[in-house]
Amino acid sequence: MKKIVSGNEAMAYGALRAGVKVVSGYPGTPSSEVIASLLEMDLPGTRVEWSTNEKVAFEVAAGAAFAGHRALCTMKMSGLNVCYDSLIGVAYSGCIGALVVFVADDPGVSAGMCEQDTRMFAVMSDMPMLEPCSLQEIYEMTVSAFDMAEAIGGPVFIRLVTDNSQSHGVIEVEERVQPKADAPMPPYDPSKYTKAGAAICMRQHRDLIARLDAAEKYIADKDLNKLDLKRQGGLGVISVGITNGYLSEALERLGEAGADVSGISTLRLAATIPYAKGGITSLLERCSKVLIAEELEGLIEKYCFMEAYKNKLDVQFLGKEDGTFSRIGQFDALLVENGVRKALGLEAAASNLKDKPERLCAARPIGFCAGCPHRGTYMGLEKGLNASGFKKEQVFITGDIGCTILGSCPPFDILWTELSMGASIPFAHGVAYSGIPSPVIATIGDSTFFHAGISGLVNAIQHNIDMIVVILDNGWTAMTGMQVNPGTKQDFQKGEWKRLDIEPLLRGLGVENLWSVDAYDVNAMGDATQKALKLPGVKVILSRRECAIQATRHKVKYAPIAFETAKCVGCKKCINVTGCPAIELAGKVIAIDSTQCNNCGLCAGVCPTKALRAAG
Amino acid sequence: MSEYFDIYTVGVGGQGILTISDIITLAAVEKGIGVNFFPTKGMAQRGGFVKAQLRLGREQGLYSPSISEGGADLIVSMELSETLKAVRYGKRGADYVVLGLRWQPTAVMLGKAPYPDEHQVAGEISAAGGILHYLDPADIPSYMRGNLYTLGAVCAHSRLKEFFSCEDIERIIADRWKKVAESNVATFRAGYSASLKTL
Repeated sequence: MKKIVSGNEAMAYGALRAGVKVVSGYPGTPSSEVIASLLEMDLPGTRVEWSTNEKVAFEVAAGAAFAGHRALCTMKMSGLNVCYDSLIGVAYSGCIGALVVFVADDPGVSAGMCEQDTRMFAVMSDMPMLEPCSLQEIYEMTVSAFDMAEAIGGPVFIRLVTDNSQSHGVIEVEERVQPKADAPMPPYDPSKYTKAGAAICMRQHRDLIARLDAAEKYIADKDLNKLDLKRQGGLGVISVGITNGYLSEALERLGEAGADVSGISTLRLAATIPYAKGGITSLLERCSKVLIAEELEGLIEKYCFMEAYKNKLDVQFLGKEDGTFSRIGQFDALLVENGVRKALGLEAAASNLKDKPERLCAARPIGFCAGCPHRGTYMGLEKGLNASGFKKEQVFITGDIGCTILGSCPPFDILWTELSMGASIPFAHGVAYSGIPSPVIATIGDSTFFHAGISGLVNAIQHNIDMIVVILDNGWTAMTGMQVNPGTKQDFQKGEWKRLDIEPLLRGLGVENLWSVDAYDVNAMGDATQKALKLPGVKVILSRRECAIQATRHKVKYAPIAFETAKCVGCKKCINVTGCPAIELAGKVIAIDSTQCNNCGLCAGVCPTKALRAAG
Repeated sequence: MSEYFDIYTVGVGGQGILTISDIITLAAVEKGIGVNFFPTKGMAQRGGFVKAQLRLGREQGLYSPSISEGGADLIVSMELSETLKAVRYGKRGADYVVLGLRWQPTAVMLGKAPYPDEHQVAGEISAAGGILHYLDPADIPSYMRGNLYTLGAVCAHSRLKEFFSCEDIERIIADRWKKVAESNVATFRAGYSASLKTL
């Protein structure tokens, strides 16, 4: 059956075709739609969940694979950093069923995180990593990844990048394979599934390396890597995953431009790891020059240098080492074309542009949506700081991942750091030890708090650190596209899922000074901040209000804000303080864009002439 | 010329620019034309930069989802300033259908930051060898959806009409919003027959 899907959805369908029993993950752009699309489907016999964090998600999937089933775990590259400890343990142990780990990298950083090359994790864990290119390939290689994982007895990575995970097109989908309903008891085998003792660990290491060799054989048997040898002594090009498509387009463009590309040998790889020893050696023997087109790090390139040295082959390499390609940013067809042009001694393709058109573009800083409750929290926080005699720039406040980090943008400019999920609390803890002349405050969103914030808070409570923790609870994992998290209202939890309320959790952790405030109530947030600043130890302010976008989607209505143009003196305080995108300037006075405004009332609170007024 | 057609679409979140590409994608699928639609949304917030890259006529796996510099046959923009982020990608001779809406960032609104005027944008397009078809936002009746209106103009003023007839697109629109099919198709037609400026 033909279907229009995104790359991530293609993977979801591939997993269903492979008979997947368990799918777990944590949201993260550009990986989220695998689970998001599966949660929209009725899939009796398959368990799909957003887990608390990637480590938990991985362990859930690994458990299912341990028990003999097929399991998929999904995450963005940052998530792989989180789950790596367990991942490498399972890589060493192997599993009975099939465990596939999907990770999405983001060369070119469209989603704002470290531009890391996750292939390095495949090197470190000796796990095979399939890298499909087209949407159909994503679907088919997902099935292959499960088959390979089962065949070699160990977990397999499948890696996409933003360009193919977020692409949409048509694929041919076959029927879902129903997973087994249950499984027999797995064998009791501590020598495989624990790390008890050096002998066990080293035997597992040996097995791990053998599994990677088996994966190399599997890939060769299935002919997943495509070697096309042409002229002896000519140019060879190696591409992998997404760059396979870039290479095809580049060669086509060169052909259209009149270049002779018929003598160019190509090796299009379906995987960096395991290294395609046979294919690479054949290419190096055939060609005198080899261009390696891989995004981010030069992994294949370094392997090529080594193979050439081992085999005493005199090959000139073009790639990262000679500066043909950068380790930074994403590739496209033109970049690869210019790489081939350089190798052929041709001039780079001519540009249309004399100047950069973007130089005239208005800067468009990101900021909170109209009605965002976080806006109220930061306004209240600043109010409380000011009332306690501090200017906001005098107070050290850490930020965390998610929408809450937009407090680092204008007009708030109140957050100093953004590190990784949950890091705001321990990072502030460390700064509190340093003796800087400032109160120390950590801010964190609800999903981030559940993800990795709790352990940092426990640590701060145990060590009795003088700090304030502000939890901005909007009830959703919002920035990645509104996923359900443990704190999301019960009405929106799926099936048997159960909501966990953060407030009793905090009380249970022994937080004695806890204020629960409405994020739209700037005064309450200000008061809580003032009180908290005077007290020793860990204080927590839980600032709550549902995400404005989600609230609007399910028809939550607030009493309308009244605006009297005659009373507006054009002081622009509402714009300067709230930065709300629903407020515009209409000549000398302001105007409210009713299509955006959700009547949160935060602007009314700062209007000095009562031109803006909350009803009632 | 090849049967390829590459479209680079830009605007800001909330304008519905992804819908334009979505409709063309569906029309392509109906006609059996190879299609890759690659949207980039940035973060889940309104008013942020959004782009979509649409590649028509290509066989899967043999191209890059991203359009290379100087590669797009058609640029569609629904925000004046953001048009400038697409100029780099236009071919010489590419059509630019630009809706001149201004979504001013706060700093611009407060007079603290510059915003390009339509003549500056036209100048950049012309320097890159593009052909501008400018839609005046004041011409769009307030009850009409800007994205469908723009799509109508695109169908009238670009080579897209060599791939799809108006009926092809109208059928998709009517199918997608059954309850308001009539008014949406009317919006599309209004955009189709809108008089455009070159500036």
